Amino acid sequence: MGTFFDFISDHLMQFLQFTAFANMTIGHVIMISIGLYFIYLAIAKEFEPMLLVPIGFGILVGNVAFAPGYQIGIYETGSVLNYLYFGVLNGIYPPLIFLGIGAMTDFSALISNPKLILIGAAAQLGIFGAYSIALALGYSSAEAGAIGIIGGADGPTAIFLASKLAPELLGAIAISAYSYMALVPVIQPPVMRLLTTHKERLIRMKPPRVVSRIEKVIFAIAGMLLTTFIVPSGMPLLGMLFFGNLLRESGVTKRLADTAKGPMIDVVTILIGLTVGASTQATTFLTLKSVGIFALGAASFVIATFGGVMFVKIINLFLKEGNKMNPLIGNAGVSAVPDSARVSQVVGLEYDKTNHLLMHAMGPNVAGVIGSAVAAGVLLSFLA
Amino acid sequence: MQKRIKHFLHGIAVLLLIVSGIGSANAQSVFDLRFNEILVLNDSSTVDDYGQHSSWIEIYNSAYNSVNLGGCYLTDDLSNPTKFLIPKGNPKTVVPYNQFIVFYADSQPTKGIFHLNFNLRNAKTIALFDPSGTKKIDQLDIPQTQQVNITYGKKIESAQEWDFLALTTPGATNDPSPRITEGEKFVKMDPYGIGMTMIAMFVVFSALAILYIIYKNLGRFFIRRGVAASKPSSGETKTEPKQDEDGMSGEVNAAIAMALYLYQNETHDYENTVLTINKVSRNYSPWSSKIYTLRKLPR
Repeated sequence: MGTFFDFISDHLMQFLQFTAFANMTIGHVIMISIGLYFIYLAIAKEFEPMLLVPIGFGILVGNVAFAPGYQIGIYETGSVLNYLYFGVLNGIYPPLIFLGIGAMTDFSALISNPKLILIGAAAQLGIFGAYSIALALGYSSAEAGAIGIIGGADGPTAIFLASKLAPELLGAIAISAYSYMALVPVIQPPVMRLLTTHKERLIRMKPPRVVSRIEKVIFAIAGMLLTTFIVPSGMPLLGMLFFGNLLRESGVTKRLADTAKGPMIDVVTILIGLTVGASTQATTFLTLKSVGIFALGAASFVIATFGGVMFVKIINLFLKEGNKMNPLIGNAGVSAVPDSARVSQVVGLEYDKTNHLLMHAMGPNVAGVIGSAVAAGVLLSFLA
Repeated sequence: MQKRIKHFLHGIAVLLLIVSGIGSANAQSVFDLRFNEILVLNDSSTVDDYGQHSSWIEIYNSAYNSVNLGGCYLTDDLSNPTKFLIPKGNPKTVVPYNQFIVFYADSQPTKGIFHLNFNLRNAKTIALFDPSGTKKIDQLDIPQTQQVNITYGKKIESAQEWDFLALTTPGATNDPSPRITEGEKFVKMDPYGIGMTMIAMFVVFSALAILYIIYKNLGRFFIRRGVAASKPSSGETKTEPKQDEDGMSGEVNAAIAMALYLYQNETHDYENTVLTINKVSRNYSPWSSKIYTLRKLPR
């Protein structure tokens, strides 16, 4: 009888060694707390819930401590999570998300006032500002490039580039990019107020004209050809973005466009969010480099906002009265669509309750998506 | 309809003409394969898969994708370009990007697909031909002053010049120096990222500036076309645009409509039923039939 109980207790003890309680470290506790905080932000504060819920839950999934060797963890070859993570590591999910973004984006604001495109270019300064600081802090060239792209404020682009340049930092970069995208309403307004005068904030812009379907169709085709001819390495992102947009604007592929902007982007968002979250295993994630990435991410958003706002102010020097642009739309050059455009609107309304900047800000906002994909292509060309 | 079909056929014909015109372009294919290193006199150097010291030929894939050598020909006699057929359908003949493949020139083709039916001892030249056996992919004239156990090859894969090499490296790069990535080279020249910022911002601005220029002009064109279309023709009498009674602009009307829409949406309860005039199809199924689900009265 005694040996039987010994047998039971031995196996019970052996089983306990396999539980998460036995394998838990302080790092796992910290990461689970971060995951819970993300879920709280998403549900209670409604900060980017579509992204933060999957990522937050993914962090919980990735930080359930386990005994290695049983094909459970995301980094263990053959595990289900590892198969799903394949799409992140090999840059498959981001272009599919771009297809959906293209199918849901209306480029009318941009087409009706093409000079707004240039703001989307100026705001990419954040990428290269962060790149320079990262180099100065001792990150390698590839790591610095991958970190810099956080300043593009575009999650799929950041994941795409990080998977190519610094896959080991992918989790930290993706989490940082999405966190700051959610925090755009907190980060950008102080910079916008600091750089603009009261008079500038009251500038009214001409309402955008109506854009015909043929113009939109030409935009999708010409946009793809022009940008990818200049930066072919940005083709996976730009090609899919404009393809999605053509599906939308052609008017004859409604079903495909609906799928791209609906079920397909939802499926890919779930997979990318969950796996990126799960990739933040405490054992690989909690390093000084990750902390540095978060600090650089914040800096890149500030520099990007600075670049966009200052560019509008400089351009205004050359524009006639009546054609001037409100510098409060400069922040929207970062491609956090549509949050940064919404920030322009909210800050603008604080100073003039009847001055609606949302439509104008959507121009640089979608140009920012194109700009950050082009910038990613440039970094890939030089650093891969 | 016939006109459309005619246009379509014309388009196809033009496309075929263009494609036939560029038929000679073979980017990213067997035409990117290059001889890279050979060992003619192998006395005590590397051994083949049978442990024999054979002569060998190394081929390098300079394409940016995998290339299948299957179906190509290797020869030491230009008058007989199809002397050795590299077998088709074998996954081992696929050379990945930036990788190498080695053939043993031992005149013993029965030993396997990588053993050629000629050797290099008396060979003056070797050549690689495409699967048609007519197009030469690469050719190497072998100097007759070969040294024992010393390979003859390119110092680095991208070079054109051949020389005797200090290291024997079948199936690997001939360049023994540590690899520096493009990124590392870039940072060596630009340690603070200023050059990168300047180049990259220039490229991003150029790409978007081109879009800007095109769309500015395209926009003007469409606006002009819109104005021209709205102008009445000379025969028509000019009618005054209908004035809104209250003098309100379309924007104000749109804002009022939007406000009403939002107001109505917010004050109404959410309704999950759908009112439709379509016929609701209820296909018969015995599983849902009433007669099978109701208990019959006892008689």
